[in-house]
Amino acid sequence: MILPIGPIHPGLKEPLRLKLETEGEKVVKAEIDYGYVHRGIEKIMEGKTWQKGIFLAERVCGICSYEHTQTFAETIEKISDVDVPLRAHFLRVLTNELDRIQSHLLANSTFFKTLDHETLFMQSLDLREPIMDSIELLTGNRVNMGWNVVGGVKMDADDSHFKPILKNLDIVEERLQRYTELFAEGPLIALRSKNVGKMTKEEAIRGRAVGPIGRASGIKHDLRNDHHVYKDYFDFNVIWRKEGDNYARTMNRLDEIPECISLIRQAIENMPKGEVRIKADIKSGYAEWRNEAPRGEVAYMAETNGNLIKHISIRTPSIMNIDSCAKYMLKDVPTVTDAIATYASADPCIACAERVSIVDEKGNSTVKNFYEVV
Amino acid sequence: MSSLIWYLYDFARKAWIEGFTNAKSKHDIVEKPSRFRDFPEVKKELCIGCGACTSSCPSPNAIKLIRETDDEHKEGLTFPVINKSACIRCGFCAEVCPTNPKTLLCGENHLIHPEFNIIPSQREFIVDNFLCIKCKKCIKQCPVDAIDVVDDKVQVDPLKCISCEQCLDVCPVNGAMKGLYIDNLEDQKKLILLVVNTLEKFIEKEDDKLRNLPKDSLVNLEFPLSNIWDKAMEIIPDEKIALDIIINTISRLKIRTIDWNSDECKKCQLCIGECPTGAISFDKQKDTIVRDSNKCLRCSICYQTCPFGVIKYFISKFSINLNEDDEYIIYITVKASQLDNDLLRG
Amino acid sequence: MLDAIKDVVRKSSIHVCIVNCGGCNGCDVELVALLSPRYDLEQYGIYVHNNPREADVLLLTGAVTEQWIENLRRIYTKAPEPKIVVAVGNCPQSGDVFNQEGGKVHAPASDFIPVDAEIPGCPPRPSEILEAILTVAPGAIASKGRNQK
Repeated sequence: MILPIGPIHPGLKEPLRLKLETEGEKVVKAEIDYGYVHRGIEKIMEGKTWQKGIFLAERVCGICSYEHTQTFAETIEKISDVDVPLRAHFLRVLTNELDRIQSHLLANSTFFKTLDHETLFMQSLDLREPIMDSIELLTGNRVNMGWNVVGGVKMDADDSHFKPILKNLDIVEERLQRYTELFAEGPLIALRSKNVGKMTKEEAIRGRAVGPIGRASGIKHDLRNDHHVYKDYFDFNVIWRKEGDNYARTMNRLDEIPECISLIRQAIENMPKGEVRIKADIKSGYAEWRNEAPRGEVAYMAETNGNLIKHISIRTPSIMNIDSCAKYMLKDVPTVTDAIATYASADPCIACAERVSIVDEKGNSTVKNFYEVV
Repeated sequence: MSSLIWYLYDFARKAWIEGFTNAKSKHDIVEKPSRFRDFPEVKKELCIGCGACTSSCPSPNAIKLIRETDDEHKEGLTFPVINKSACIRCGFCAEVCPTNPKTLLCGENHLIHPEFNIIPSQREFIVDNFLCIKCKKCIKQCPVDAIDVVDDKVQVDPLKCISCEQCLDVCPVNGAMKGLYIDNLEDQKKLILLVVNTLEKFIEKEDDKLRNLPKDSLVNLEFPLSNIWDKAMEIIPDEKIALDIIINTISRLKIRTIDWNSDECKKCQLCIGECPTGAISFDKQKDTIVRDSNKCLRCSICYQTCPFGVIKYFISKFSINLNEDDEYIIYITVKASQLDNDLLRG
Repeated sequence: MLDAIKDVVRKSSIHVCIVNCGGCNGCDVELVALLSPRYDLEQYGIYVHNNPREADVLLLTGAVTEQWIENLRRIYTKAPEPKIVVAVGNCPQSGDVFNQEGGKVHAPASDFIPVDAEIPGCPPRPSEILEAILTVAPGAIASKGRNQK
């Protein structure tokens, strides 16, 4: 029997159609229909200046909006050979890690919600609020921050911002430890999440899973290791696991948060003095840049002509993660409710994924599954 | 038992009735940090109407420049208006605003440096399809292949254009290829008005020559550009841009002039009733017919009405060129209208 | 008498369905943040159910994309009367940054279904959303319920 779920469904937060093929209660196969949030951002960006483009890049995805602006700015900086001041780099790392914490907490809380574990859901949402406060204090807005510009960051920060952030981090670290224990040792949680939605390392490589989802299946790969600022000035461990089930993915995200906190502390402690923004003269050229977003690898390929963007293409991690979720994680799930939980544990972000619109020959614009066509 | 007492103590300590009746959310959910960027605040009396905010805004419907209606005492102000349902609160308009102090304020701690104020505006090249003869010289000349023929029309692709202005030089038709300046529209408007008003006054002063003009003949006048150059420089300080705008204006300008000799007027007052805007009136004290040139549309109805042929109607055309001393001279050709001839023949 | 009781009851029991018709997710995140203990939407008698068939309030986020034009009308007809539609964020009101050349959006949403209230912002803060819902929703639902009679 084929069970369609979505696009509006109590279990899904975003519009997407899941088609589950079931045998009794067991889910055998899953298929995903995209296309509900395609807005054509890449097309809009063509012929605009970077000043306008950076706000469009921010609105590719609302949850990891910071990483998109940083990658966009770094792509343009690479094209035009801009040397960003070190203080700006440190402030970028600081904001990036704050954004990563809130994204991981949100992803975990939706997973807890699908497990019907209201306590952990509420607690991790509550834990997210001090982080959102810190972001708002530092950048001036909670979600779409408008903090990055080509050539640095928009505003400087001082101790009046760092002290409340450190205070908030202490609260988060202490409470997070309790919740991690609660999750790790809960017998009912283990029943619902261990050995459910398994994806082996080979499958993860074949499905091109990235980010925490790939790392939970044993791919020890974090793009922050390749970023020149992280490599030269920061110390951190790459968290990874071998199991590849829902439990491992959630634990992987929970374990990454203390690493983020330690990165923020290092950034504030070793914050160099100097300017935070330099004037950037945009040159013509082509460049690619990759960064580690909360969900995995974000890649921007941009071509500029003078001050204007000629062409840009964006690759977001969600498209690979959702695809590998449908192909491998959902292929053998004991119940339908577990299928929803498995889907939530892959941390899907549909707004990120919708890049392609496929038009048929008659000119009727219809949006189809990208992977069916390729 | 002790646990029950502890529970009761705890229950009483919380003063639950008070808490229950006055239940409300904590203060901190509505508190905003000092850096919070709210919707931009507009101080309309400071605005100079440059349009930097509208051209820099990433959201297409968020900000508009509007102009109040004039009243007796002063001209209406021009100022930006924020549409809250499209504004994304990025603060970019406040960053590019060139006035000091700023017209637009958004968030107190923005790094607002003048050197970062890159107003995203360039010279825009447009082909006038009415004048274009499709000789395709500009297509051959363009170094970046930005010009192409689309749907039988020559078009410039703004993405590829590098503003080298070679197409302007090579174009054989005066005014077919236009390089528009899109950043200082208000100033351009002022400059064009200045040129048109000065030229009209200059023509009206020469009424002796015009009134004795025989039919089917022309009057040639010369007006040196240096007469208005200082005033033009006050409006747009850049010499090249000002000259370009003046040349563009003059090459397509056509001024119509209404004129009559009040001594010959028979005061039949027929033209007063026919005038569509009420620009012509009868001054009883001085016993003359007066025309208000601010209201007049130059529609020539009075000229067609006048039974005695007193009212004259002239059409002047212009061209601008360098003379021997390398000075720009505006050459004016004034011609009496041929309408009455046509009417008589008809 | 029954109407008066209905008005009172309706004011304090509102079921909400979030309809994301093609946005960047930012407004949805802020709506989820409203569920957190700090803002606690449920203390005002509002329950986020995410099922249009049980909803009194449709919270609309996102600029209307190609696939949503028909689906939006269908979802609106499926919600029981009395119902109100609140447009959260700029996208359903004006299309925000997507409503320009090259974009594939069909904003505003009021072209397709009637919108009763609008909350501006990109995205609005949770406190702004909360304030707007609390000032608009109970009165609107009660009065709409009366008009149906």
